Amino acid sequence: MQTALEAITADGGTRTTQRGQSGTTGLKGIAVIPIQLLGLWALNAAGVWVVDKTALPIPGNLVGMVVLYGLLALGVVKLSWFEASGSFLIRHLAFFFVPITVGLMNTGALFATRGIGIIVVLAVSAGIGVMLAGWTSQLLFRKPGQTGGES
Amino acid sequence: MIGFSAVAVTAFGIAVTIGAYALSLLARRRYPSPLTTPVLFSTVIIISVLLATGISFSDYQPAKTIMTFLLGPATVALAIPLYKNREAFFRNLVPAGIGLLAGSLGTMITAGFLARLFRFGPELVSSIAIKSTTVPVAVEIARIVHGNPTLTAIFVVITGMIGASFGPWLMDRLGITHPVSRGLALGAISHGQGTAQAATESELAGAVAGVAMGLGAVCTSLAAPWIVPLFV
Repeated sequence: MQTALEAITADGGTRTTQRGQSGTTGLKGIAVIPIQLLGLWALNAAGVWVVDKTALPIPGNLVGMVVLYGLLALGVVKLSWFEASGSFLIRHLAFFFVPITVGLMNTGALFATRGIGIIVVLAVSAGIGVMLAGWTSQLLFRKPGQTGGES
Repeated sequence: MIGFSAVAVTAFGIAVTIGAYALSLLARRRYPSPLTTPVLFSTVIIISVLLATGISFSDYQPAKTIMTFLLGPATVALAIPLYKNREAFFRNLVPAGIGLLAGSLGTMITAGFLARLFRFGPELVSSIAIKSTTVPVAVEIARIVHGNPTLTAIFVVITGMIGASFGPWLMDRLGITHPVSRGLALGAISHGQGTAQAATESELAGAVAGVAMGLGAVCTSLAAPWIVPLFV
């Protein structure tokens, strides 16, 4: 009884301290996320703006991504500035696709008439792409004289 | 009164979407299979609920706009895995770069060619040719090449499922064993879903797949305005 009680207190004690410690970082983390999101949003808006002004044939969000990569590589910004919100967004990237694919409910007629063709095109082109990317790169790895390519 | 009901429908749409997504995460954990892929699973649930409650896609549109607001920032954030895993890729720059180009361009040309062969209309050809890009980039490329962003998003998701489930099987048959090659092929062709699959094979394959997904998107967006018109 007493040991059990001690265990509970000890357990509760550690839990409290743990919560206390992570509480400060957690709170800081939560406060930091909107700022990080704002930063990512600003980079995206800047990319969209650049594409709009220059008529570049690439998506604005991709320009934002390349700019962020450049800033990280040049050491202008630190990875830790964006990591918390960035990894959260990427972990749940699939969520953002869901509302878009709900549009499938309006394409029933298309899939009814073209469904088989569409699946064939998607499956064959995916297979050929996998084959080309895999084979080409592996062939080049195996070239004699190349080091560090063997697994 | 009308304003209130529109707000209510939008709130309902958001609640259903978040609920379905949360459910899909649980389903995937308990029964991992291509059928419990979050996008497929959630989409089926949401469409069923919307049909059952008589809500049309245009009623759902405002909810969609609100929920996809963070898609742009999320794409920008893809620079983070790219930066973290740069060494795995740049150490093998030449073979990986050439393989990436071959895969990205090869799949676009094959898809465009086959779509032409099936006598698809111009909008459908443009939408399907660019399907090996991560969704947020693909929907933007779709606008540039006069495709239909919604159709493109659907094709991207289907491609992700096909590549992630059959890609490893195909590569086993073809003798593609090098982890960098396997990650490269999965990331370049099946973007996010392929990257997740590659990460289960090995850390190196997953890292390379993440970089391939990002650079494949750059590659496709630069090449699409030149290649897609050839098949339209």
